[in-house]
Amino acid sequence: MAVQDRPDESSWKIVGQSVPRREDAWLLTGKGCYVDDVPEPPNTLHLGFVLSPEAHARIVSIDVAEAKALPGVFDVLTGEDVAALAQPIRTGFLLEGHRDTSRDAVARDKVRFVGEAVAVVVAENPYVAEDGVERVHITYDPLPAAVDLESAARDDAPVVHEELGTNILLESTFATEGLDEAFAGATHVIKETFRTGRIAGVPMEPRGCLATTDRAGEELTVWTSTQIPNIVKTALGKLLGHPESNIRVITPDVGGGFGTKAHFYPEELVCPALALKYGRPVEWIQDRREELLTNIHAREHIYTVEAGIDADGVIVAMHCNMMANSGAYSSYPFGATLEPVGGVRFVLGPYHIRNYGYETRAVASHTCPAGAYRGTAQPTAMLAIEGMMDRIARKVGIDPAEARRRNLIQPDQLPYTTAVGMFYSTGSYTESLARAMEMIGYEDYRASQPADRLVDGKYRGIGICCYTENSGMGVAAIRARGWSTLPGFDGALVRVATDGKVKAYISHAASGQGHYTSFAQIVADQVGVPFEDVSIVVGDTGQTPAGTNTFASRGTVTGGGAAIRACLVVADKMKRIAAQVLEVSADDIVLEDGKAVVQGVPDMKLSVREIAEVAYSMSSHDLPEGEDYGLEATDHYDAGMPTIANAVHIAAVAVDAADGTVEVERYVVVHDCGRIINPMIVDGQVHGGAVQALGEVLMEELVYDEAGQLQNATLLEYLLPTALDIPMIEVEHIESVTDENPGGFKGLGEGGVIGGVPALTNAIADALAGIGANVNSNPLRPSHLSGLIAASKRFS
Amino acid sequence: MSSGTVEVRLTVNGVEYARSVEPRYLLVDFLRHELGLTGTHVGCEQGVCGACTVLLDGVTARSCLHFAVQVSGAEITTIEGVTADDTLSPIQEAFHSNHALQCGYCTPGFVLTTVELLRENSAPDESEIRQGLTNNICRCTGYVNIIKAVAEAAGNMKNGAG
Repeated sequence: MAVQDRPDESSWKIVGQSVPRREDAWLLTGKGCYVDDVPEPPNTLHLGFVLSPEAHARIVSIDVAEAKALPGVFDVLTGEDVAALAQPIRTGFLLEGHRDTSRDAVARDKVRFVGEAVAVVVAENPYVAEDGVERVHITYDPLPAAVDLESAARDDAPVVHEELGTNILLESTFATEGLDEAFAGATHVIKETFRTGRIAGVPMEPRGCLATTDRAGEELTVWTSTQIPNIVKTALGKLLGHPESNIRVITPDVGGGFGTKAHFYPEELVCPALALKYGRPVEWIQDRREELLTNIHAREHIYTVEAGIDADGVIVAMHCNMMANSGAYSSYPFGATLEPVGGVRFVLGPYHIRNYGYETRAVASHTCPAGAYRGTAQPTAMLAIEGMMDRIARKVGIDPAEARRRNLIQPDQLPYTTAVGMFYSTGSYTESLARAMEMIGYEDYRASQPADRLVDGKYRGIGICCYTENSGMGVAAIRARGWSTLPGFDGALVRVATDGKVKAYISHAASGQGHYTSFAQIVADQVGVPFEDVSIVVGDTGQTPAGTNTFASRGTVTGGGAAIRACLVVADKMKRIAAQVLEVSADDIVLEDGKAVVQGVPDMKLSVREIAEVAYSMSSHDLPEGEDYGLEATDHYDAGMPTIANAVHIAAVAVDAADGTVEVERYVVVHDCGRIINPMIVDGQVHGGAVQALGEVLMEELVYDEAGQLQNATLLEYLLPTALDIPMIEVEHIESVTDENPGGFKGLGEGGVIGGVPALTNAIADALAGIGANVNSNPLRPSHLSGLIAASKRFS
Repeated sequence: MSSGTVEVRLTVNGVEYARSVEPRYLLVDFLRHELGLTGTHVGCEQGVCGACTVLLDGVTARSCLHFAVQVSGAEITTIEGVTADDTLSPIQEAFHSNHALQCGYCTPGFVLTTVELLRENSAPDESEIRQGLTNNICRCTGYVNIIKAVAEAAGNMKNGAG
């Protein structure tokens, strides 16, 4: 069947409008259903995990007698007991230079980070489960721990996985031809090291899991707070030895994910394993301490960048050396490669850099495993390149904006393939910078800025970030990264019911992005029905087609692409049916507002309901010859290599000279994610990301001591931004539509944080430039900044 | 059960309930698991995040920091009791039209905090709105649209729209 693979431009009507979100109806009224809100089935057992207090230790003995004797405790299992039910978690990577780790769902023999599960208590309710946890007595033989990134990378560091003999989980190098010669030809070579602190996504809903079996003990249903239900389903089938066809994974409402929930976790393996073992429902709900101790951490990175520039500040050669702390285990499904490979590939950003080389390493340590947090390595990679732009400007005596203008990919250079082979189809690199500078009044700000930056007792500065955002990874992108447990494509089933109402089942999972609204806008336009007549199903592997799910800004490109393709097949059939009934050619039919209308003859029309009645044989009209019954289509979409979005953030800050506190006084964004589906939702994503960046730059850090104890596993001590801390962010849009995917979309979920981290850091660096402070790290808490200010006074 | 139970009587959203629970049973668990009012969420169990905010005798309170038995006899309003019917209150309407929620997990707490905020100050300026919202953490929205929504709700309620 020949169906067009991309929609007509004129079909976009509801797409582009700020349609208020449909999910608000239940989320605003307390009717949301997060995993702990799923009605508890009778006889549910509740789990409590005993967490290791040691970062690195041999488990000498585990005494479960007292816990087992407690009334209400049903069972207590050790790592050995769980290992009999579930295989260890391995990524099974296909990437050269990557060393895989093996993680037991519950530790055996050895623990490798504080918070690793050592035993599991099964009880009649969560209160008793916690009582039981306190009554499991474990003796440890503590061993030396490798904690911070540089220590763990040393040759003499305690090794996390003895069988590997090294803490280096990945080593990778790359260089374009003639790199050394290009450096030799540079007028100046600038070198800087950037360090960023360990943080985490910290969604407001911690994780949780409920697993049930059917009466025969064959069908396993798992509700879990995840972004990747399909990936969880496949992992469960493999690790439990249970037929995947008998596993259904449902993500009800998810209270934020930010990449944290794009991983498969041990508890998601233990709950179903025990549900199968006992034939009873098993539930586990995570508390905040566990969330901070054990959910994926991120961003403990060191970049050392060397840039060779000419006399005008144009980069002629660049080299990036990166290290990322991977924590105790290679996380599933991304392994230890996510941050270190991403960082050195993304660091080129929107700049024209032809001569480039990198060395990158993933380093295991006795800390919580690291992985995806919104933007993955992009916020730190852009911090590195944007930090270099400011240093280039200083070196050659030009404005930081001018340094960027001289290095940005120019409109006539598009389409563009970077030195590491990433393809940029369209983009607004120079235009978005110019517009953002206008919005914030950049030239006036600079003109009135005193050399010492001191205005009314505060150091005031302005910082820019021009960036690219990697989005919509398809099969080729996933394979290039070696992620063998991720399919890469996504799927959609679009079904028109007999009454003409449309339902689309899409292989994504919502955690706040507005899927129920954005996808409905796409489907409404492409089937030609009112928005109100479309409903969306996501987050249920029992209903949606196969796919790769929601992370790395994939939703609009891959889910939207799959939905469009399925819609076009359905729309084509609707046109053929209408054409036969109306006795015209299908080419003359237009679908709009719930009707098939003959072009130029508005009275000749058929409602979608009437068409559906023909399709379902509930009409006096026959189907066209050769047509099958029903009115639905399933299609899959492979977006191939990443689609690259771009934006510019500019922040103006004031640093209090007395105490080092930072106020963000202005914050502007010019954002370009191709065709916008819902501007209000896009703005919300940008706001949220930018404020996560504010947390990352000004307050957040997970602090381990030398022994590997996490010092701040509470929200009292891990500070998050509040309504008092934020600027009223101003956002404008440019839409550089791409022809890389059916909708012309580019992803946008991560951009806010990617742009925010460098813009805020550079603004603070600019504010303190007058006192000669070199700002090259995150976070920049008041204690750190007041230290820089005090040091400048001592030496001045 | 490892310990005895006590009777707790609460009036929640205008309905009287009596249940026997352990003395250590938290108010938030009582609301969620005894009464099935799952709109009140648990975010940190330490009184920091505000996801479990309810009105306790009309005043915002962290339902994760109270034992149910401590507040026996009290009147509680949860998100399910913000409106008497299926329509949205002016505050909820303003959150909807301003896209002031994303994942929705913190939202019931923000709505109840806003109920109290606007009851005590019907025309707050931006700074007062920010101050009034500091007890609640949102990780999705960046607060920009929440601040706008509260301002709009205040305006609408003053103009009699609600």
